[in-house]
Amino acid sequence: MEQNAPRKVALVANCLLNQNAKVCQGAHYKGLVSPVVEALRSRGYLLHQLPCPELAFAGVRRWWAVYEQYDTPAYRAHCRRLAQAIAPLIEQHLRRGDEVILIGLDGSPSTGVRFTSSRPDWGGRPNRPEDDWEIVPRRGVWIEELEAELARRGLPPLPATGWALDMGRFDEAGSRRDLEQFLDSREIAAGAPGGNSAAP
Amino acid sequence: MNSDARGWRMALVPDGLMNPPDRAGAALPDVLGVLEASGYGVLHLPPPGEHSLLLAVIADQVAEYSHHGYAVVAIGMRGQPSDGLHWRRLAPLLRHRGVALPPRHLIRPDLDAALEGQRLAGFLAGYDLPLEEQRRWRV
Repeated sequence: MEQNAPRKVALVANCLLNQNAKVCQGAHYKGLVSPVVEALRSRGYLLHQLPCPELAFAGVRRWWAVYEQYDTPAYRAHCRRLAQAIAPLIEQHLRRGDEVILIGLDGSPSTGVRFTSSRPDWGGRPNRPEDDWEIVPRRGVWIEELEAELARRGLPPLPATGWALDMGRFDEAGSRRDLEQFLDSREIAAGAPGGNSAAP
Repeated sequence: MNSDARGWRMALVPDGLMNPPDRAGAALPDVLGVLEASGYGVLHLPPPGEHSLLLAVIADQVAEYSHHGYAVVAIGMRGQPSDGLHWRRLAPLLRHRGVALPPRHLIRPDLDAALEGQRLAGFLAGYDLPLEEQRRWRV
């Protein structure tokens, strides 16, 4: 490959490369989520791991939470700090004409792309019945702040999807199909006249 | 949700091993493949450059893991500045957070990639926290 040829870069949610970042009982793999890694690498994507905002904020022994519990000024400020840490790398790729995509974690209160978990009345003593949150079509708090930081830098929105790990009932085959369709649609768009570059 | 599958072990991985340069003659083992087979997660280090804020964020995460029963190792790549691990910056950040420096394993790109992969797998299999620490946290 030519040194300066545009590259394909995938920004990947932290826990898709390290399941140890998940809340207790949330890890479905030992470490890497191999179907995600395989799907991306087999299509020539470079991988960039995003920081995990929940781990750095509430720790590895944190309680489960929904969007509304993380939608606080302090957590958003924390997410902005993380976004400022990773944004220069993203900007570098976009400015050199690389194709940059984002793979989040659907259902996550922080890293959801298409869906997040919602339950406005969660709070207080953690004794909720299992899985009584709702899945709503919305970004997680971290993704909202990351996108806002990129916009502040005058960068275009990134094509994005989510691996549906936090949707309540995880369906690996369905998630894999979904991800592959997203990636393959990128290939088709790139082959079309005008391409699909997200370069600013 | 079902029972938790986490492996409790992870590796700091340089960008040069996550995303190996596509160069003729540079034979590297498939580090991500070896980590996956060994049940390790990844903490991806940025490519060479400043990245002060990002390294501080990574150091925070290593500290959180190290203080709560997780095993963290570092895989370096010989021939890169600081073995690709940003050690000159990362080591003081870790010390400042009360974290012992993770054990390091170096990949040598000048050696046979398959053998280097086996050597890495052996290192990963052989490392974990003492049993007493595992029992304390991994319930």
